[in-house]
This record gives sequence, structure tokens and C-alpha cells, in this order.
Amino acid sequence: MTNLQSLEFFIPELILTITILAALITDLFVKKSKTNMIGWVLGVGLVVVGLSVHNLSSAPPTTLFLDMIVIDPFSSFMKIVIILSTLLVIVASWVNDELEKYRKGEYFTIMGIMVMGLFLMTSSVDIIMLYISIEVVSIMSFVLAAYLKLDTRSNEAGLKYVIYGAFSSGVMLFGLSIVYGLAGSTNYFAIQDTLSSLDGSANPALIMALLMIFAGFGYKISSVPFHFWTPDVYEGSPSTITAYLSVAPKAAGFAMIIRFFHQVFSDSIGLTSNSIGSTDLPWPEIIGVLAVVTMTMGNLVAIQQKSIKRMLAYSSIAHAGYMMLALPVLSMEAVESIMIYLFIYVFMNLGAFFIVIFVKNKTGGESFEDFEGLGWKMPIVGAFMTLFMLSLTGLPPTAGFVGKLYIFKTLVGAGSEFLWLVIAGGVNSVISLYYYFHVVKVMFLGGKRSDVITYPPSTMFGLMIFTAVPSLILGLYWNPLASWVKDSLVFYNQVM
Amino acid sequence: MENILSLLIWIPILGAIVVAFLPRDKDNLIRYTSAAVTGLQFIIAIVLWRKFDPSDGSMQFMERYEWIPSLNISYILGVDGLSLPMVLLTGMLFFIGVFVSWNIKKAVKGYFSLYLLLDAGVVGVFLSLDFFLFYIFWEVMLLPMYFLIGMWGGPQREYAAIKFFLYTLFGSVLMLIGILGLYFTCGKTFDILLIMERAPEALNGVLWWGMSAAKVIWVLVFIGFAIKVPVFPFHTWLPLAHVEAPTAISVLLAGILLKLGVYGIIRVNYGIMPNEVYWFAGGLAFLGLVNVIWGGLCALAQTDLKKLVAYSSINHMGYSLLGMAAVVAAGAMNGGDLKAAQAGLSGAVFQMFNHGTISAMLFILVGVVYERAHHRDIDGFGGLASKMPVYTGITALAFFAGLGLPGFSGFVSEAMCFIGAFPVFRTIVILSTIGILLNAAYFLWAFQRVFFGKLNEKYKDMEEINGLELFTVIPLAVITLFFGIYPGPYLDLIKATMDQIIEKVAFVATYASL
Amino acid sequence: MDSINSYLFISSMLFCLGLFGVITRRNAIAVLMGVELILNAANINFVAFSKFNGMNIDGHIFSLMVIVLAAAEAAVALAIIINIYNNMNTINIDDAAELKR
Repeated sequence: MTNLQSLEFFIPELILTITILAALITDLFVKKSKTNMIGWVLGVGLVVVGLSVHNLSSAPPTTLFLDMIVIDPFSSFMKIVIILSTLLVIVASWVNDELEKYRKGEYFTIMGIMVMGLFLMTSSVDIIMLYISIEVVSIMSFVLAAYLKLDTRSNEAGLKYVIYGAFSSGVMLFGLSIVYGLAGSTNYFAIQDTLSSLDGSANPALIMALLMIFAGFGYKISSVPFHFWTPDVYEGSPSTITAYLSVAPKAAGFAMIIRFFHQVFSDSIGLTSNSIGSTDLPWPEIIGVLAVVTMTMGNLVAIQQKSIKRMLAYSSIAHAGYMMLALPVLSMEAVESIMIYLFIYVFMNLGAFFIVIFVKNKTGGESFEDFEGLGWKMPIVGAFMTLFMLSLTGLPPTAGFVGKLYIFKTLVGAGSEFLWLVIAGGVNSVISLYYYFHVVKVMFLGGKRSDVITYPPSTMFGLMIFTAVPSLILGLYWNPLASWVKDSLVFYNQVM
Repeated sequence: MENILSLLIWIPILGAIVVAFLPRDKDNLIRYTSAAVTGLQFIIAIVLWRKFDPSDGSMQFMERYEWIPSLNISYILGVDGLSLPMVLLTGMLFFIGVFVSWNIKKAVKGYFSLYLLLDAGVVGVFLSLDFFLFYIFWEVMLLPMYFLIGMWGGPQREYAAIKFFLYTLFGSVLMLIGILGLYFTCGKTFDILLIMERAPEALNGVLWWGMSAAKVIWVLVFIGFAIKVPVFPFHTWLPLAHVEAPTAISVLLAGILLKLGVYGIIRVNYGIMPNEVYWFAGGLAFLGLVNVIWGGLCALAQTDLKKLVAYSSINHMGYSLLGMAAVVAAGAMNGGDLKAAQAGLSGAVFQMFNHGTISAMLFILVGVVYERAHHRDIDGFGGLASKMPVYTGITALAFFAGLGLPGFSGFVSEAMCFIGAFPVFRTIVILSTIGILLNAAYFLWAFQRVFFGKLNEKYKDMEEINGLELFTVIPLAVITLFFGIYPGPYLDLIKATMDQIIEKVAFVATYASL
Repeated sequence: MDSINSYLFISSMLFCLGLFGVITRRNAIAVLMGVELILNAANINFVAFSKFNGMNIDGHIFSLMVIVLAAAEAAVALAIIINIYNNMNTINIDDAAELKR
């Protein structure tokens, strides 16, 4: 589709651009204490963007801007997930005391730009666009991670993030350049076409390129061995940003990986019978091992943490591992299970982080000691946290179980060669129970009955409700979600 | 009364919610509410029993609603001769348990709210006929148990609680994999009855890692249930959990939660994959033997009264396993001895009911003395008989029932297990009679140390067992005595269902030998 | 030079140098320079492929994009490094190690 025709289908992004500009301009006219207002601007804008994304989700899948990006139901789904998590984080930023000392204007604006990058990540079908979108997201997250200018921990998080991020995207870029050299085009579909007709002599280059590209992808979803930045960045960043980084870029990262591997390298069938199979490397096994190592490492290190925020950082590595379990299969069912898991993960993980923020506002710390006896002092918060921990562990009847069920179901259904992945995943959820319930233990089993019961302020309470209700209800009745995901399982696929 | 089974599950759930919203200072109101809820549930269970048709071995009072059509998950409930007695037992023990926990002082509201949730989970497992629903209830029990042990338990409660949780979760994850295996091989359904119908053919010849998928699934699911039973070597969580849990929770743990394991093995492993029972029966009988001997020896070595009772549970569940293994006598290659199979399986099911009543009684009685002395050291008492004659009498009765004296229900079921297993597993049965000796030894020895001999001066003012406590024990004692003398009603109730299971196992054998 | 191989040789040399720099240097600015080398290695690849394979101009465009993004990234990175210097008086990345267990 030509550039002008494309604009009609680019309305969400256009509205988003206008919103960002509006936020930037509003920031010039408000006092420091009133900068929460920019959050309103961005929030309202995002709601409108969400509506227009929803409007376009029924449009026939097509490419825009001369095959640069696509719109299809899959990208619409991911965009809505991203909007949801951004909205929740915006609200949480209003009540996060860490940010009190700073103007929040740029904070919200940068978040808006990041959403733009995430949108492009989910829908790019051209390696130029892929690289640009990744960089937009990365650069914005560097700034957000280091947003607490006076806090050396936040500075350090930013520094580490920028070094790891720039390095891995550089490596990825080099890999992309080799792919471009082999295929002679930057377009996914053209690449797919040429790669599948390459002869064996190109294999070494292809393997190297794929490994380099995976470095970039792995960094985005924090998979082992590209995860080293995660714990430090998550711990040092403002908690709202940690929460945001643990869901939105991860969702977009998975969308990107799925589109890249599922659409380009696997003929939409599965990693077992595809063109990267022609490189003679056992790709399903390699990705499977990476997934298992990722979640095992995440879980085992999470056990040793003293800070709940850092524990959640490692746990988010583990969750990336669970989602990666479905990648070796990469059938439509696998994509479905990853989408369901992501959607559920947004709520349960954000919920847990919101409670960490709330407790930090109250006690000034985020270690296990600060949670001591929380269940007695603030029973409601304790109950919510227990729910999130249950859900993150993946115990029924919470939503986390449904996510795991879908992943396991995909693997068992894909045949017995993937069974070891299921068993590894199962054992890992048992391990994760230990540290998730360490939180519950500290909250309830320690401490004693207190006569003063504190309730969270209404905004925080609303956030908790809004994340807790889906974490529970989606575990009991997820039919609407399942059918929405099923409807969204449509990729744009060029007919060759 | 069309949805009588749903009522059984949802009344406690509603009760839990109501209790959670009662004001937290009104302890008595909370207690009476819980008693009313469990009482109502018990009454409904009795009504169910009166309406139940024992001559029909298939599922009755079925309820079926669509739930998640995209995964073929439905809300299916049903009750048969296997689950009905368990539902009755659940109703009774949870009702009694409220009174056993009357003295809980700490966070009463939380306690009873979780207690009722546990109740719903247990009944749900017995009644659900859809694997997804089954699994949800199976796991729903874990959280209340974790809190009930972890918050209201003894000194080592935190460790005991998390150990219990980790063990059970490990088992249930393996079970989940097995369930998913069944889901895919049997045409993408979670409906247990449908899977029962399809599984023998659908699993035929399916290979996982070069092994028969049916065997792999059998073992995966078995481990899940075996941890709950608990079968040696998965038993190590049990003594700890029992000792640390508050009395009422020990009662429920021994009385019902352990039965879930046996129930699951019969319902799932026997009902769905009867063919593999032949392959594993020898192992099952052997595990039964190990349970009997190991449990007995450990019980003999204990100085803590509650730990002794806990190990006696392991010992008693061993008989049940032995009886279950006996079902293969029905197979053509084992002579097609339907009578032995019947005796064994009915014995196993009866044993699980009897152990439910007897061990509940034992734990309540241990709780009574702990309440007064604040310790449970067997050697720390002595001569209590002179101070507490009524208590001594009832404890004697419970101990005798526990050691399987004729005239008590335990004797009938243990004898049935032995008789059933004898034709097939001769050596194992002979060896496991040693267990009976151990059984008698540890109970009698403990009884002697606690009640006879010189009166320990510390306890010369020991209070006699009171009315409330008597009220909790007497019904159990009556049941034990009644079924010991006249087991007919119970066996008639389960006969049709047992026959159906045995028929299936026998049929599969002929089918396989063709 | 009329063979693509020479260009690829140079670009892989640059890539390796960049990698070496990132891994061995402890000065944050030097690490950034290593990253820039990697990016430029990729740029050389893009342009070389674009020219010698007789392909479209996508490669040229890509390298222009990369230059822009690299500049943006460097700007942000330098801002963070300046901030670190203001707060901690060092730009050695090993000294910034508050976030450890």
C-alpha cells in the first residue's frame, strides 16, 4: 500500500503522536506540583488510541508504507495489551512517592514515545523498521530507568541498561546486516523467499546471523544468557518503571520474536519443519534449553534475594522462560498460549509491583523485612499480595494457572519430544512456590494481630482491584479472553 | 433438589465468604456460623445418602454445564458408591472439626474462613467428574491447608506448612502433565467419564519416549496421588504436618485428606487405565507392605503421641494399598478370582473410611490431653487412668480400634484386604501380617506408658474429658463399633460401584490377552 | 578495491575491535566507543552489500537510519554518564556497583 493510502490505517499511531506532542506542550505551562496532569493528557490520549486500535482490528490484514509495517489482528491484540499496561503504570506513577521530587512531564511524555516504539515493534515486517522500533524503545527506557537524577542507584541502573542495551542491539544489527547480505532485501517476506532457496554453503553465515539476532531478542525479553542487565536495572529504576519494563517491552519483544521466527523463518508451521531447519542445527532443542535455563536460573536466584523488588526482577526472568517454553513448538497453538500468558502476566505482575510501590510509600523500603506482618496490619493488601503470589506461582483457581495450562497444553499436544520441557516447567513452578510464598509467610505467619488496620488510599486501592480482579476471574472464566485471542491469531501473510 | 451436589460444594464457599465479612471481634458468632454451615452441609450429605440408589453402580445426581467450550471444559458433578461414603465422612468430620477447633483463639475469623474453603475443596474433589474442575479443587485445598498449619500450628509450623505445600504441589504438577496427556490422547476432553470410555483404546500403542504412554501417564498420576496417601517414599511431609497442625486440622488431614489419594488412584488410575493396573499391581502391593512395616516401625520409635498416631496413618494406609492391588485377582491370567478382587477392593475402600473415623478419633483424643498438659511426650504422663477414667476408656476403645481388634471396623476392613490379596500376593500378605503385630505393639505400649503405672504428680489435678470433647468423639466411636459388628450397610452401599470397577479390570485383561 | 570480500573483512575487523573494546574497557566512554565501532561495522556491511550485490538502496537507507539512532543513543548515554559523574565522581563502570546482593 502506498504511503498516502496507508495513513488511513495508521490513525492510532497518528493520534498517539498528537498526544505526545500535546503532553510535551502542556508540560511547558504547568507547575512542578501539577505535572500529574500530563499523565491525564497521555492517559486520555491512550484511551482514544486504544479505541481506534480496536476499530481497526477488524480491518483486513495488510501492509502499510510500502511493506514496512503491517496491521493485523495479532498486532492489534499486542497493542491493546501495551495500552492497558501503560495506563495502569500511568495511574501508579501518580501515587509513587519516589517520583515526588521530580517533574513528571518528561516522564509521561517519554512513556508515550515508548508506546509508539512498542507499537512499531509489534507490527514491523522489515528489518529497518524492526531496528528502529527496538532502538526507540531502548533509548526511552534508558532515560526512564535513570529518571531519578539524584538517586545513584537509578543512575547506575541507567548506565548498566544503556551499556547492555547498546551493545546487544549493536550485535543484533550486525546479524541483521548479514541477513540482508544473504537475502538482498530488508523485507521479511522477501527474506523468507530467498532464505528458503539458499544452498548449504550459506549456512555458517546464516547461523552466525541468527545467533546475533537472538542476542538482541534475548536482551529484550531478558532471556539467559542476555539477562545480566535485568536484576540491576529492575532494582535501581523507579518502581513504576520497573513494573512497566517487566511487562510492556516484554510483550512487544515476544510479539517481535513471534513475527520474526514464526513468519519469516518457519513458514508458519513450526520450528521443526522449516527453513532454519536447513541450517542443520537443532533449533527447537536450542531454544528449549535456553528457555529451561532461563526459568531455572531466574527461579534459583530469586530464592536468595532479600529485596522483594529484586526477587520480582528474577521472577520476571523466570516468567520469560515459561513463555519461551512454547517457542520451540511455534505452532498457532503455541502463539495462542504465549498471547494468553502475556495478557494474564500483565495483570498479576503489575499487581505485585503496585503493592511493592505501596509498601515502599508506607515503610520506605522494599525488602522482606518491610513486609513483615503486613497481613495483620493491612489485611486487604496482604490478601491481594497473596493472590498475586498465587497467580505468579500458577496455582488454580488464579489466572496464572490458566497461562501455565495453555503453555503446558501446547507442549504436551506437540508430541513427546517436548515432554521434557513440560516437566522442567512443572518442576520450576514448584521451585517458584518457595520464594513467592516466602512473601506470604513474612506477611502472615510472622507478626501478630494489630489493633490498627490500615487501608490503602483510594487510587492505590483502585489499582489493586483492577489488577486483582482479572488475576482471579480469568482463572475461573477465561472464555472471552480465549475467543479474543483466537480471533487475534491472524497474521498478515504475503501470498507468494 | 436437582443441584444437590452443587449445594454441597457451594454452601461452604458461601459460608467462607460470609465468615470473611463478619466483624472480626465476634468470635462466637463466627463459630456458630461455621457450625451452622458445616451442619447444613452434613444434613444435605445425609439427604443425598438417603436418596442414593445403591443398586446402581454408575454415577448418580449428575450435573453438567458448559464452562469453557474452547477447551472442552465442563462443570460436571456426580456421585457413586465410591465417593458417597467419602462425602458423608467429609460432612461429618468437618462438622465435628468445628467443635474441635472451638478453642482456637487467634484470628478466629481467618481460621474458620479458610476452614470452610478447605471443606469446599475436599467435597469438590470427591464430586467433580471433569479433570479441570477436579484439579482446581485439588489445588484449592492447598492454600487453606498452608495457612491453617502455618498460622495456627505448633512451633515448627512454618517449615511444616511449606514442606506440605511443596510436596503436594510437586505431585499435582506431575498429575497435571498426566491429565494433559489424557486430554490429548482421548480426543481433547477433560470429561472423566468420556475419558474412561475412550482411554483403553485411545492409549493403545501410543508411545512417549519409546515407552507406552499409558504407563507413563499412570505413573505420573500415581505419584500425584501417592504423595497425598502418602505412600513410602513420599511420606516425609506427613508426620511433620500432623504434628505441627492444630488438632482439628490433624483430624481432617488424617480423616479425609489422605483419603483423597486413595480415592484418586481408584477413580483415575483404576477407572481410566485399568490395563496398566496389572503392570503395576505388584509394585502397589509391595509399596503397601513397605508402608505397613515402615509405618509400624516408625510408630514404635516415637515418643510424641501425635507423631505415633501420624505414623499409624502410614501403617493403616498400607493395608488399603494392599487391598487395592488385590483387584488384579480378577484378571484371567490370575485365575479370574472375582471374589478375591471384590474382597480386596471393597476392603481397601472400607479401610479408608474406617481409618478416617479411627484416626480422627485418635487425633481428637491426643488433642484433649495436649490441651491440658501442653505436651504430648508419651513418657511424660503415666497413671492417667486413675485421674481420667472416662478418657481412658474412650482412648482404650480408639486404640483397640486402631490396632484392628475384632469387633471394631478396622478389623473387618484389614481382614478383607488380606483375604483379597492373599491369592495373588501370598508372600507379601504373609510378610505384612508382621505389620499387625507392630500395630498392636505400638498402640498397647503407648497406652500402657500413658495410662498405667505410677501417677505422674504433675498431673494429679488433670481435668476429665469434658462434654464438648465427648460430643466430638462419641459419634465416631459409635460408627467404629457399629461397622465392626455389622459392616453390611457400608458394603452394600459400595458394592455395585466396586463390581463395576472390577468388571472393567477383568474385562481389560481378557481383552488384552486376546 | 572491487571485491566485496575486502569490505566484509574490514567490517568484521571493526566488529571484533568493538567487541574487544566493550569487553575490556572499564571507562564508560570507551565502552560506548566500542559500541559505536560495532554499529559502524554493521553500517559498512549494509553499504557494501547494497553496492556489490547489485541490490536496491535499502542498505544505504538502513545505514543512514543507524547513524541517526546511534547519535540519539550516544546522546542519552552521555547524559547518563554525566549524571553519574556528578553524583559519584567517576565514570568507571566497575565503581558503579551499588546494586549487588
